[in-house]
Amino acid sequence: MRIMCCLKPVPKPGSVKVDPETHTLKREESELVLNPYDRYALEAAVELAEKTNGKVVAVSMAPPNAKDILLEAFAFGADELVLLSDRAFAGADTLATSYTLACAAKKLGPFDLIVCGKVSVDGETAQVGPELAAWLGLPSVTWVKDIKPLNDSLELIRTREFGEEKIKAKPPLVITIEHEANVPRPPSIKRLLKQDEVEVKILSAGDIGAKEEYLGLNGSPTQVIDTFAPEYHGKREIISGPPEEVSERLLSILKERGLI
Amino acid sequence: MENYQGVAIFGEWTGREIHESTYELLSEGRRLADELKTHLIVLLPGPPEAKEAASELISYGADKVIATLDERLNDFRDDIYARIVAEKIEKYRPEIMLFPATSLGQALAPRVAGLLKLGLTAHCIAFEIRQEDRTLIQVRPSFGEQVMARIISRTRPQMATVRPGVFPHAKKIEGYQGEIEIFRPSEEAFKSSLEVIEKRPKPKTDVDITKAQVIVAGGLGLGSKEHFQKLFDLAELLDGAVGATRPVCHLGWISEDHMIGVSGVSVRPKLYLGFGISGSLHHTVGLQGVETLVAINIDEKAPLMKQADIAVQGDAREILPLLIKKLKKLKSQREND
Ligand SMILES: Cc1cc2nc3c(=O)[nH]c(=O)nc-3n(C[C@H](O)[C@H](O)[C@H](O)COP(=O)(O)OP(=O)(O)OC[C@H]3O[C@@H](n4cnc5c(N)ncnc54)[C@H](O)[C@@H]3O)c2cc1C
Ligand SMILES: Nc1ncnc2c1ncn2[C@@H]1O[C@H](COP(=O)(O)O)[C@@H](O)[C@H]1O
Repeated sequence: MRIMCCLKPVPKPGSVKVDPETHTLKREESELVLNPYDRYALEAAVELAEKTNGKVVAVSMAPPNAKDILLEAFAFGADELVLLSDRAFAGADTLATSYTLACAAKKLGPFDLIVCGKVSVDGETAQVGPELAAWLGLPSVTWVKDIKPLNDSLELIRTREFGEEKIKAKPPLVITIEHEANVPRPPSIKRLLKQDEVEVKILSAGDIGAKEEYLGLNGSPTQVIDTFAPEYHGKREIISGPPEEVSERLLSILKERGLI
Repeated sequence: MENYQGVAIFGEWTGREIHESTYELLSEGRRLADELKTHLIVLLPGPPEAKEAASELISYGADKVIATLDERLNDFRDDIYARIVAEKIEKYRPEIMLFPATSLGQALAPRVAGLLKLGLTAHCIAFEIRQEDRTLIQVRPSFGEQVMARIISRTRPQMATVRPGVFPHAKKIEGYQGEIEIFRPSEEAFKSSLEVIEKRPKPKTDVDITKAQVIVAGGLGLGSKEHFQKLFDLAELLDGAVGATRPVCHLGWISEDHMIGVSGVSVRPKLYLGFGISGSLHHTVGLQGVETLVAINIDEKAPLMKQADIAVQGDAREILPLLIKKLKKLKSQREND
């Protein structure tokens, strides 16, 4: 199987920088790490490629400083590395991001399978996978925690709030991966030693045939208009003192209020 | 944009009944429709047995239920459901469309957004209306910081997903009048290469914390799994359930079913006690519906302490066992009285 794996570089916790005007993340100024959920997506893609004698193409849409993350993905088993990088991509919401990834999928494909993480820890939307599927006219299955390749199809286990579902799917399709899906392998020493030789292919909007109007901030229908810190009411009761005393006091207040 | 009118919500059929989240969307949807002086519609795809549910939805304030009832909608298949919802949106042109952020809603809404090239805001916790241009202002936590973002969408309908538990359950309105309209999608919409071959319900072990009246929750401040375990004793004494922050779930102190917040669930208990929880916005967005919030923290400046109705400054590892001891005593006293 030829598999595309979407990897999102996210700001390292604590290094988040936000543009005061557009309220979008300034990714080029943040220290980037791989979105933790995408490690499971990459592992699922690599395991499946191994079982089916296939290849994994790792794709990120990110500023140039994300190159190291793709090199990491190589150490974890990705075969080809592609960085979609262009000023025109900046400030993209999920619709513009998924459009860009869809253009890349058409350019670099055809793929039998596209694998995304369940959710990213910065955007926290879980939208890019299904939106990407829609742009490509492919079916999608979210929150997959197990993948079994059959002859001409895949058997997927999807998690739902009530339990799980077993789904038979015919490729090509898009799936998003749960963190329970696997235990990601450590980086391969052999691959770490070869990191200097591997190429990270850098593609611009023109290279993937993307239309300007669908890209970046301009192509993003959603806009953050402002941000605010939530306010809290002022009538709180504060209790402090030795543990015995505060426990006693807390219980008597709760009793007074009829809560216990 | 004038061509778009009305508020629409997605009605989720679970296979047996209408999902709780639909009733929560009905209450917020009704409020938004009233503020915009427009109608509220429910888009309901499901198998034929979902028909009765359609009339039920009207008694909770829906003006119109647009139902598609077909055997082939027995299982949720992302592609079929999304095309049907997209066809309905194109025909009925609502100005607002809300989805539940259930597993189904989170899979469906972005597919619809992708098909129709629309903006979609994930996991909103509040909405405001800007009257002059009928804009829906969508509020959600922003980028891992202690701030909320107000978001608008340039496309119509303005679409958002809403985390279950954020809004109250709609109230039944006796004698509310509405209509059911059957929508027949194109045959094309039913094409799919997905097949659900088995559904396995998970064994019912835990209490559903979204329904608990009392929640005792713990965070990293409890220091160890051993201390955390004591929350279960306290929960039992208070007839409540145990909640948790994300890091303690990831440490394996408790399963993720107990996680409260953006990645977990929203809760609406009468009483919430948070032990050793800092009160990150990621956690507290799940606490919007709490009536009385108690924080127990050594740091009086922790955000949860500022938000609390009762802020207890002290070591949670000492206070927790003391509360258990004292409550036990209280209980046996009450029993003897
Ligand atoms: C995208 C994203 C999604 C997230 N989703 C969620 C989510 O759904 N739910 C969630 O909970 N988190 C979520 N998080 C994590 C969240 O940002 C916080 O990191 C987390 O809620 C903090 O957990 P905590 O309060 O247990 O730990 P900490 O923030 O480490 O707080 C521990 C607190 O305990 C206090 N303390 C220490 N010792 C004691 C003691 N002996 N007695 C009393 N108090 C003590 C400290 O003063 C501190 O306030 C998410 C994060 C991201 C980036
Ligand atoms: N800029 C990006 N580059 C590559 N993949 C992405 C990007 N943004 C999102 N994704 C993929 O989409 C998934 C969900 O992201 P999100 O919708 O932001 O929660 C991630 O786990 C990635 O697999």
